[in-house]
Amino acid sequence: MGLLTNLVDHLKAIGTGLKYLIPRRLTLMYPEYVEKLPEGYRGYLRYDNEKCIHCSLCARICPANAIKMYRGGDKKLRPGINYTRCIFCGFCADICPTGALEYTTIQDIAYEKLEDQVYPPEKFAKGVPQPVYPEKPIFIIAKVDEERGLKYDRV
Amino acid sequence: MYDLINYLWETGLNLLFSPEIFEPLVFPGLIAAFSLLIVVIWLERKIAAIIQMRYGPYYISRHTEGALQLVADLLRFLFSEVIIPKSVDKIAYVLAPIILFAFTFLPIVVIPVSKDFAAIDHEYSLLIALALMTLYSSFLLIVSWASNNKFSFIGGLREGFLSLSYEIPLIISALSAAVLFDSFNLIEIVEKQAAMGWGIFYNPLAAIVFLVVIIYSTSRYPYEIAEAESEIVIGPFTEYTGILFGLGMGISYIKLYSMSLLYAVLFLGGWEPVVWPLNLHPVLPGIILFIKAFIIVAFSVFLRAVYPRYRIDQALRIAWWKLFTLAFLSLLFSYGIKIIEVMG
Repeated sequence: MGLLTNLVDHLKAIGTGLKYLIPRRLTLMYPEYVEKLPEGYRGYLRYDNEKCIHCSLCARICPANAIKMYRGGDKKLRPGINYTRCIFCGFCADICPTGALEYTTIQDIAYEKLEDQVYPPEKFAKGVPQPVYPEKPIFIIAKVDEERGLKYDRV
Repeated sequence: MYDLINYLWETGLNLLFSPEIFEPLVFPGLIAAFSLLIVVIWLERKIAAIIQMRYGPYYISRHTEGALQLVADLLRFLFSEVIIPKSVDKIAYVLAPIILFAFTFLPIVVIPVSKDFAAIDHEYSLLIALALMTLYSSFLLIVSWASNNKFSFIGGLREGFLSLSYEIPLIISALSAAVLFDSFNLIEIVEKQAAMGWGIFYNPLAAIVFLVVIIYSTSRYPYEIAEAESEIVIGPFTEYTGILFGLGMGISYIKLYSMSLLYAVLFLGGWEPVVWPLNLHPVLPGIILFIKAFIIVAFSVFLRAVYPRYRIDQALRIAWWKLFTLAFLSLLFSYGIKIIEVMG
């Protein structure tokens, strides 16, 4: 009797395997397809030199000590960031009283050297680094789907 | 002069297309097995990927979903250095996988492709095939012993335990097919099936036991115990590099292929039915045999995505309690069918 129930269980397992043999892939083929991230995503930081009041709050709140204040030629303190340390917590953008620091949805930047990831104030103020793709990617948005778990829609 | 060249050309061609050369070397032997190897390993990875909602091999030849991945892997194995560690038994270390690879091919020699096309048409060809299949585990033991590595040793030990337990059900279930069709000759067995119907319908018990033993003995999941990747690296082939490792990776698939051919001959009606374009040349019915064997191979590699791995004690219990008993029952079943035939 045990043998028969065993056989039924094995057939059920194989049936489950066969059921999933229809391709319904959840993986994103990254460089060809790129996920468009939602607003409020904490990616790379944008720094506005004009709005900055040189208060150093960002450097004090930074839990990873990624932000460091540099004294410029005009004797004023300005933040510079080291992305090798940054944990993208967004505290600096939250605490900034004038909104000189804000987060963007950019996240997929690759560097050749570790030193390239250190941004002194002048480089930090120039703008956010842009990702480079081998060919023009197709942007998609990920959505939660009841049946499938995840679903991707084209932008 | 011209006559001589013509004569040599014709005899050479005849020799190449004679069953004794063509069958072991081209189809269904070496070349067919190699192309099947390339397709099957890709298929295994792809099926597992699809069931786990992944892509699997993709970037080498994107248009064919990465079908050339194994060609690339093989080239890499071919050009990477073969490192022979100081502590190994050098002669056995180098020769054993090569001999093992050759011996896993050998059963194909006695498996006929059609009624008139067999390299060796012997009265006891089934027994020869079974005997050649049992050489596999002893050479795997030599491989594992020669490596002088604890993972290889454990893998070889596991293979030894498993081979003792699967060989008896394998032979008994194959013999119950022989009893059923009253012959040890594989060609006669297929001829009988063409007249009576496929063996799997007459003795489903033996067919199931043989199928489980195929999966068991070629270390497919859930019996992938001898080369359990997450426990003992890759079992007996842990110390191997380069093309010797490539051989080691392919060996279990080649064994799976040769056993599937034997399964198709014993239980799935072999090369029958021979329909119109296939009766033009004696080698063409082999295509049907090949397709049947390929279905068995594809099913066995599909199981990777279904099952986890058994512990060795669980696998041994299954072999000695269930497979052994079922194999004996299938033998009695075959005798029962024979008795009914004689009485009725």
